[in-house]
Amino acid sequence: MKGPPLPPPRHRTVNEALAAAAATRSGITFVDLHERETFVPFREIHARARRTAAALRQAGVSAGDRVALVFPTSPAFLDGYFGTLLAGAVPVPLYPPFRLGRLPEYHAATARMIDAAGASLVLADARTRKLLGQAIERSRPRLGCRSLEDLSVEADGELHAAVDPEALGLIQFSSGSTTDPKPVALSHAALMAQLSALKALLPPEDRFPQRGVSWLPLYHDMGLIGCLLLAVYYPGPLVLIPPEHFLARPALWLRAIARHRATLSVSPTFGYAICSKRARDEDLEGLDLSSWSLAVCGAEPISIATLRGFAQRFGRFGFDASALRPVYGLAEASLAVTFAPPGQPRAIGVDPARLAATGEVVEGARAIVSVGTPVAGSELEVRGTNGENVPERTVGRIFTRGPSVMVGYFGRPEATADTIADGWLDTGDLGFVADGELYVCGREKDLVIIRGANHVAHEFEECLDGVEGVRAACSVALGFVPDGEDGEELLVLAERARDANRSDGDAGTAELIRQAILEHTGIRPHTVVMLEPGTLPRTSSGKLRRSEALRLFLAGQLTPPRSAGPARLSVELARSALAFAKVKLGRGR
Amino acid sequence: MPDLRAEILGEIRRVLSAELEVTEPVELHHELARDLRVDSMGAIVLAVALEDRFLVKLSDEDATGVVSVGDLVDLVERRSREARVEGAPESAHGRGAQ
Repeated sequence: MKGPPLPPPRHRTVNEALAAAAATRSGITFVDLHERETFVPFREIHARARRTAAALRQAGVSAGDRVALVFPTSPAFLDGYFGTLLAGAVPVPLYPPFRLGRLPEYHAATARMIDAAGASLVLADARTRKLLGQAIERSRPRLGCRSLEDLSVEADGELHAAVDPEALGLIQFSSGSTTDPKPVALSHAALMAQLSALKALLPPEDRFPQRGVSWLPLYHDMGLIGCLLLAVYYPGPLVLIPPEHFLARPALWLRAIARHRATLSVSPTFGYAICSKRARDEDLEGLDLSSWSLAVCGAEPISIATLRGFAQRFGRFGFDASALRPVYGLAEASLAVTFAPPGQPRAIGVDPARLAATGEVVEGARAIVSVGTPVAGSELEVRGTNGENVPERTVGRIFTRGPSVMVGYFGRPEATADTIADGWLDTGDLGFVADGELYVCGREKDLVIIRGANHVAHEFEECLDGVEGVRAACSVALGFVPDGEDGEELLVLAERARDANRSDGDAGTAELIRQAILEHTGIRPHTVVMLEPGTLPRTSSGKLRRSEALRLFLAGQLTPPRSAGPARLSVELARSALAFAKVKLGRGR
Repeated sequence: MPDLRAEILGEIRRVLSAELEVTEPVELHHELARDLRVDSMGAIVLAVALEDRFLVKLSDEDATGVVSVGDLVDLVERRSREARVEGAPESAHGRGAQ
């Protein structure tokens, strides 16, 4: 499948796009928990970034250097992010520590990301900087860790470096906290191609000027590229809500959309689910959502029930169900790969057992949502195990090619070569095409996506080291969408230790597993299944095969290996004796 | 100031039941993760609500020592007293800004 031709991007680099936006009166509005607003015009964002860039250069940051950024959603993020770009350097946004978070895990993950991106400087807001000590100590960036206040930002020092479109414009991490983070390196040209493709999906700007609202984190592709950079590129107004404030008070999002007569807002499924569940009626009184014409939904498996539930609850506030637009994408392709066509989201019902067992799409009870067709400039193929293109309604691996695909994983040529061949990016996701539209139904890469955040399976599995009753290194963590749930949940398939005491069944061990994972990762497993030793499928070299385990689980075929106990042995012996006898008889005939 | 502790516990109970679907009674000795099944999102919701209500900042290093409801009450109480001593309680909307 091929998207329409890509309209030539209107700018060559993010730096040029920001300079053009600065000539308009538009800008970014920050909303706090009490709906107090701070408006920062693009003109001011540009001016502040020029001063920050000069200060960064003075602090020793050279063109091409990576600068890690650890900021909450705030004007300071814009200073650091655009300041880095205008210094000709490459921003690497990282997530800030969560409140009441697990700092040891946070330090370890942050240090690994700083290392992986080869950042020469970490820029953080003053509060966060105090907490970063350990991460900095471990990763030792050349220029250390500074806050904006530490930089000698001066009124007369300004810098707006011209950068090459092929130079890196962003390094983003595709997975949240992982033991092996992969830095996705994107060029300015790739970012501009992505923004041009996104803009082509919006209604004509002269007749329908767009206004955006977002609560998505700015260290994540959907919030950074899909919201902030799109607003700069378009250019048009954007309202930003810190994600933690959205979680605490989901109605903030909808109220901001109504107040600003916003036309465009994006969220993973769970954002829509949280509003249906937790937005309080008294917070919604008099709300008018009729301006919201593009309610984009992506970043995790999409639940049609959640989207329909949202449309139903907020229909009386003027929300139009046909505004909902499911999308599919991944950090390695900048952001979006496909986009659903206008109209109400479409879903088809498939038989989950047949889908898992044979890869055939036949009618059944599991609803899978169409994520539409490739965005401008993108191509897509669904391939079988031998690399051949599979016919419609057959599950295969999704590959994409186009101008917004990453340069590669930064500093990781082998990992890059495993992922991109002849320009085609292996998404690691599984899907099928039906009536010319893509349906994503699973994945072969070892990722679990919870509430829009990617987690490497290993992150969960390593929590089980030393849990009593669990066979060492014989567990897999998987993402699956349970019946009746809003999104993907965590499934743990664990083999019992051979000497496990089973007098009280598996409930005790399963509970220990739940606790261990919740304590280390903050994620609560949805389902824990205890298995006989040897049940999980393995490769010939003994490695666990996660996606095969999930396939067997969904198909109801996860069964223990044939027991080699005395009874079984005698049956086998009898069989082979019989076979032997038959052969002899045959020969003797 | 025992009233402050009671108030903090009351707010924790309110958030747990109203926002996080915790239906069982909440006592000081309950562990947030183990007994009340508060996950990372729940912790953020709880922290933001407490910061807002008691005008404190909780993204501090000592938050790692918070295991039980009692620990959280202690932490909020300590932060709240510090803010009073400094005489300039931080405004709730200062969060996120530089």
